[in-house]
Formats: sequence, structure tokens, C-alpha cells
Amino acid sequence: MKALALTIATIGVATFAVSLTALADEPLGSGITMYFQMGGNPGDGSTLPRTNGARAAAAAYGVKLIEQYSGWQPETMLKHFKEALAASPGCIEIMGHPGNDAFAALVADAEKRGIVVTSGNSPLTKLKDQYTANGFGYAGVDLYEGGKLTAQKMIEYGGLKKGDKALEYGLRAQAERGRSDQGLYDTLKAAGLEVDYIEISPEVDHDSSLAVPILTAYIQKHPDLKAIGTQHGNVTAFIGKALQDAGKKPGEVIVGGIDLSPATIEGLKKGYISVTLDQQLYLQGFLPVTQCVLSKKYGFAGLSTNTGAGVVTPKTIGALTPLIDKGIR
Amino acid sequence: MTQPAQTIAAAQSWRHIVRLHQVDMTFGRVHALSHVNFEVGRNETVGLLGDNGAGKSTLIKIVSGVLRPTAGKIWVRDAPIDLDDYSVRMAHELRIETVHQGQSLGEKQPLWRNLFVGRQITGRFGFIDVKKEKEIAHQLLRQAIGFRGHGINADSTVRDLSGGERQGIAIARAMYFQADLIVLDEPTTALAVSEVRKVLAFVEGVKAAGHACIYIEHNLAHAHEVSDRLVILDRGKVVGEFAKGEITLTELTKRMIALHEGQPRGHD
Amino acid sequence: MKDSLVATTDSKANRLLQIEGLPILAVLLALVVAFMVAAPEVFLGYRIYMSFLATVPPLLVLAVALTLVIAAGEIDLSFPSVIALSGWVLAYCIHELGSPWLGLILALTSGALVGYVNGILIARVGIPSIIATLATQFLWGGLTTVFSQGLSYSLGDVDQLFLWRLLVGRIGPFPVQALWALAVAVALWLVLNRRRFGEHLLFIGDNAKVAEVVGVNVVREKIRMFVLMGVMAAFASVLLTLENKNFFNTQGGGYLLEVMAAVFIGGTSVFGGKASVAGSVVGSFLIGMVEAGLVATGLQGFWVRAVVGIVFLGAVVGHLVIEEPERGRALLRLIGAKVKLGRSTHT
Repeated sequence: MKALALTIATIGVATFAVSLTALADEPLGSGITMYFQMGGNPGDGSTLPRTNGARAAAAAYGVKLIEQYSGWQPETMLKHFKEALAASPGCIEIMGHPGNDAFAALVADAEKRGIVVTSGNSPLTKLKDQYTANGFGYAGVDLYEGGKLTAQKMIEYGGLKKGDKALEYGLRAQAERGRSDQGLYDTLKAAGLEVDYIEISPEVDHDSSLAVPILTAYIQKHPDLKAIGTQHGNVTAFIGKALQDAGKKPGEVIVGGIDLSPATIEGLKKGYISVTLDQQLYLQGFLPVTQCVLSKKYGFAGLSTNTGAGVVTPKTIGALTPLIDKGIR
Repeated sequence: MTQPAQTIAAAQSWRHIVRLHQVDMTFGRVHALSHVNFEVGRNETVGLLGDNGAGKSTLIKIVSGVLRPTAGKIWVRDAPIDLDDYSVRMAHELRIETVHQGQSLGEKQPLWRNLFVGRQITGRFGFIDVKKEKEIAHQLLRQAIGFRGHGINADSTVRDLSGGERQGIAIARAMYFQADLIVLDEPTTALAVSEVRKVLAFVEGVKAAGHACIYIEHNLAHAHEVSDRLVILDRGKVVGEFAKGEITLTELTKRMIALHEGQPRGHD
Repeated sequence: MKDSLVATTDSKANRLLQIEGLPILAVLLALVVAFMVAAPEVFLGYRIYMSFLATVPPLLVLAVALTLVIAAGEIDLSFPSVIALSGWVLAYCIHELGSPWLGLILALTSGALVGYVNGILIARVGIPSIIATLATQFLWGGLTTVFSQGLSYSLGDVDQLFLWRLLVGRIGPFPVQALWALAVAVALWLVLNRRRFGEHLLFIGDNAKVAEVVGVNVVREKIRMFVLMGVMAAFASVLLTLENKNFFNTQGGGYLLEVMAAVFIGGTSVFGGKASVAGSVVGSFLIGMVEAGLVATGLQGFWVRAVVGIVFLGAVVGHLVIEEPERGRALLRLIGAKVKLGRSTHT
């Protein structure tokens, strides 16, 4: 049933896209092959909407899409890029995790051979500046900005003020993912809040329900806690439960998180979660394919899109729920 | 489940507790046993001798149900056995017990569990009757084995025991379950001299208590001392049989050395 | 030597130490007292304990079941995937079919199936359990992603169901799953210590050849054991999924090391043949509580793993000293020798 719904949605989007672009009989991207680095593992929450977006776009433009899943391992991403190069496709989408220097020689090679390279999820600023004219774009969140936005919205909606106590529960030990936590932390701090920090353990990283007693203990220890911030999707999902266990009512503690997992949506609806950053992962799949087709076909330059430009609040969640169920939001 | 049942076979008349007729055992191309005839009478202690690889272990594994022979027939208490059904469990039910060298007891388990494992006393709902098992174990330790004053009790683990004592426990277990035949696989190997004497006393105890016994031994003097009959195996065949008194220890020793030197792989 | 050994095992202090799980329980209580002193506003209230009683049960059920597997000298690495798979089965039945009871039955059945496949691979085919279950962990984890299409399910108003109230409901503030976990622990303690099956597992773990010689059907018992493990992992998954009111397709991955740590801290021997269900129960609480406790005392989160490591090492060494006095003495001698050595170099 879910699969059916997904297919219908995909076809809908495809029809829409095709009706806009295809005046000719053939779809715009017909004959183009694109290698696409999807990030995590097939189907995981932070990957699935991207996959769906890329597939929908590929179907709409008639692009042959080859999906590559790295489990977020930088060295695998490099390996996948080499494999893609060997196949001489029309376009390749890469993720920024390995960094500019690691990719520099490989991207140079690809550009020389006329392959359109674009990037997603995590930026490669230097390479983008160098090859923008050839169609090197970026579709993803600026992680630091994402954290900053989350914090700003927490302050705005929750009326947080100077001297309020806040907890940041994050993964700062991980250089890349930690940047969003840093953005959140810095912004709260700059607003004059007293911010405490706890690192998420690998166990909680996997099974975030294990965070419940930890947060419960922390909340009880600090009865004057005003805010909790995190940029971990599944941890966001369990903060509401911890607040409940610690005897807090919705809204007593302002919670800012990330992503729209089902439990986070519940939390939003109940009012335990005040703000959650929406990365709009679907766009991170759809846009690079569009970039590929337009650059390959018509030579358009690379475009940068910050997909994490919005937050979801208890007021706005209702309208999104059906799309979330389909793996689009 | 299997309570010691004195009544089943004791009253019946049978000559041999176990009899093997023309038994063959091959592992791939290797003939471990060929056309072996072998029997053990009531309350008889049979010493089984032979070099490494002569087939002693294979023979007792067949008797105790661990291995199924390739060909041949087996009788237990003069009744033919369906070899397809024969197993360790069935051998237990027929009251044939084997004490394997160093492999009869669970080292980390308490003595009471070791005595009853495989034949636990269970109460209603199938729970093990620990109290009863411990009581019996306690009595057995005091009376049958004579571990008096040693500080060893039913809760001691096997690794608290010396090598000879371990053999004693294994033999006592077999006797408690009224085994008519107790197979002892090299019970004195790797034991100190004083421990060996204990084990030999246990073997004599088996005979005195009315059980039959197959006794595998490297030490010819020990075998000669305790056996009613000696059977010599060589490369899977029975090559000699002597009742007690038919052969002196010196003659036996000479014969065994000759066998050893006669082997094609003999190197001395 | 033997006499001295007997004398020590007969002394009162040692008899106390021999009571199953007692030494580690003392460690747990000491830790709780330390937390009470350091964070009285948290640990003198009831709420944090209710939170533990809600989150520890899946860990506890897994640890107790794994105790039996380790007692038999085997290991199961596939249970995290059972947590994902059975959780998905349950979530699918509730979410898509609207029949929670069918979900419960099929979830437990799927766990049994995984266990049965493990059992066949290990006991009949003869693949070492660490390899076989590593492989099946990938297999079932991967299939769960395929089945769920990578989606997580929210079970929204699942708390309206009788099944939910029966398994993870609340009596006042008290989480019902704690009672279920306790029931599982008692049942598996009886299975291990008072049933033939359990005794057979201990002998298999002690020495599989001995087990065979005394008439234990090793293959059959091992298969039964892995099926039991699978069913218990599925039950843990049901508790977890219902308590979370959510199915996450990554669920289970965080439990592998925690469960093993709980079992070994509890005093079960990694070599098999010796196992403590009570120890695993206490170990589960220890593992499940330590991070929350440290966070409440204000210690940086980074310290958590180090402290777990210290408690873990301490427990393992403690068990060694208690249960194998010889090795324990050797260890003490080693430390003593080092101390002496240090002194002599100073003088």
C-alpha cells in the first residue's frame, strides 16, 4: 500500500516536471546517466527522502540514475567517485564529507572529461567556486547555519532570554556532524543563555530510546532548565518522552531539534517539541538531478541551494504529515 | 526418569552382558575394526590392550553407542540389538556406562549435577529435584567413594578434585545407576602413582559390587593385575585372548613388544 | 592446598560471596548510593527509577536470554536485527493491518524463525556461532530495511490498545514492563538452574564432548536454545517498540555491546559452563543506569564509557577472585610482586 502511494506520488511529481519542461517528445534528460551518492544506507531515515527525490527527478527527466550508498563513510565516497569516473557517465553527484582536498584531483579529472559534477548535503566550497561555470552546484544544508536557525527559532518561539539555562545534547566529537551542534550552541550562548553540553554516546546514537533516562536524570537535576537543543534526528524524537518522565508539561521546556521522524511529529503535535529543522532531504535528491540535466543539456552554471532554510513548529506540522508518511518530507 | 531398576534383568538368566559378532568399522578408507568378535560375561573384568590406533577406542565407542558399526551384530544380555536405534541414551537405558578418559565430567559443574546429568531426578512439572539429588550425592560421596573428611561435598566442583577422585566420581556414577557394564577408557593415564592406586581400587570395587567391566589400559601391569581376561587388539583385529593366570606379566610384555615391532611403521 | 581452599569456601564471608549475583548487587547499590549523594534531587525522587524501569526491561530480557546462550559456550550477535525485524512485524500489523495480537504472535514467530535458522546453521551445519550470527545479523537487518522500505512508523494512539496496557502500561507511575522483565528473569533462572534443558546447556558450555557422552542431544538442545534466544529478543523488541510507540528501522543496533556488557558484568563466564541469570539482571540495571547517573552528577558525558569500563573490569576481576581463588591469588601475587618491585627500585 505504501509502495503504491509512493509510486502514485512519484508519477505525480514526474508528470508535473515533464509538463513544465518537455515540449519535445523526448524527456529532457533522455540518454544521460547520472551517478548519485545518496549518503547513508538504503532506506534509512536521513537517506530515503533524498533517494525518493532523486528517483522522482530521474523518472521525470528520463535520466538513468545509479545510486551509491556509503553509510556516510568518506573513504567509501571517494571509492564510489572513482567507480563512477570509470563508467564515464554524464553527471556525478558527490557528498562533501571527504573534503575539498581529497576530491580536488578526481573532480579535475572528471571536469576535463566533460562530466558534470555537482554536490549535496555537505558543501565543497572551494571546488564549487572553481567549477561553478561547468554546473558544479550544491543542494544541502549549511550545517552551522542549520544549527543557528534552530537556535534562533527556539529563542523566538520560546521567548528565551539572557540567563536562562539550556542543554545542548549533541555529537560535537564528530567533526562534520558536530558543526550543526556548534551553530546551535554558539547561537544560544550569544543570546546570553547558560548552555550546558552533553555528548551523545554511540549507543544512544543507534538506539535513541536509551537517551530517555539520561535526559530524565538531567532534567530532574536541573529543575530550572528552560531549553534543550539537539541536531540528532532520533534523539529529538525521544526528548518529549524524557520530559514526560521527568514530570514536565508541554511547553515548560523549549525543545529545538532536527528532522521529522514519526515520534518527532508526535512530539510537535503534543507540544513537547517547539521547533525542528527540516532539511528537506527530498530536494537534496531532486535538485542535483535537475542541475545535471540543465547543465549537461544547456550548459547552465551551478546553483547553490540551502535546503535547510525552514523549521517546522506545532502550528505547521499538520499539513506536512501525509507527505512525511510517503517519505517525501 | 530412569530410576535404578534392579528388577528388570537381574533375575533373568544371561551369559554375556555384551557380545559383538563380526563387527566392522570403516572411516572412509580406513578400517578401524575388521571382523571383531568380542564379548564380556557377567561380572567379568576384561582388560583391552593394544597400541595407539589398534581400535580400542573405536570398539568401546561402539559398545557405548557413540559410534554405529559399518557391519556386524551386537547382543546385549544375549538379546540382539537393532543397530539403527542404538545410541548413548539407549546404552544408558540398557545400563551400559562409559567413563571416558578426561571426558566424563563437567569441570565447572558441582558434583551433584555431574552425578545426575542425563538422568536427572525430576519432580512434578519437570523441575529438577535439587534437594533429593544433593542428598543422594552426599550419601554416595560418603559411602561409595569414601571421600570422608576430605572437605569435598556435593556442591564442590569437579575442578576441586584430583585426577583419581574424578575417576572415582565417574565410576561411582556408573555404579549408582546399576550399570551392568562399566567401560573404563584409560582411567589411569596422566595420574600420579598414589592416584593410580586409588583408581585400581575403584576398578576392583566395580567387580566386588557385581558389575562387569571393560578396562582399557596402557600399563600392562595394571591391566594384568585387575583383569579376569585380557583381549589384545592390533590394527583393528583381535590377536590374542588370555584368561587370568594363562599368561604371566613377563610373557604379556614380550608379546606386546613383539606386536609393536612387527608393525610396518615400527621404527626402533 | 585443598584443605585451605575448603576452609576458605566454608567461611561465612565467602559463602555470602557465593550467593548468585550478590557481589555485583553490592556494586550496584554502592553506585546508587553514590548517585544519591551526588545528585539527591534526582536519585531521592521516584521519577528516575520509574524511567529506568521503563527503559531497562528490553535490555534485561536480552541479557538474561543471552546468558543462557553464553552458558552453552555460544554467542548470538543477531539479536539487534531481531529487534529491528520483529519490531517491524509488530508495527506493520498494528499500523497497516490494525491487528496488534496478530502482530505480537507474528513478531514472536519471526524471532523464533531467526533463532531456528541460527540453530540449524550452528548446531547442524557446524558454522561457529560468532560467524553464523554475524551473517544473519546482516541478513535480517538488511531484509528489515527492505520490508520497511526504510520507513519508521509512528504507532500514534497505540496506547489505547489493551495489548499496550498489558505489556507496557502503567500502574500509577509504575511501568508494567518491569514486571514482565522480572517474570522473564525468574522463568529463565528456573530454566537454567532447575530444568534439564538448562543443565544440558551448562554441560554443553562446559565441555560439549562430556555432554554428548552423558547422553545430551547437543544438536537439539542448541537449536532449542537459539530459538529461545530469538523469541526473547522478539519479546524485547515488542516491549521496546510499544514503549517507544514507534518503530525505528535502526532500532536494536545500540543494544549489542550493552547487552554483552551486562551479561559479563553479571559474572557469566565467557568460556561457557557457568552463568548467572541474577548477575545479568543486576548487570542490566548497572549498564542501564550508569550514564544517567553520571550525567545527573554533572560529570561530562565523555566520562561515561570510561566509568563503564572501570566497573566492567572491576566486576570481571572480582568474579575471577571469588570463583577461581587460585587465579585470583595469582593475580594478587602479580600485583603484590609489582608493588614490591616498585618499592625495591625506590630504595
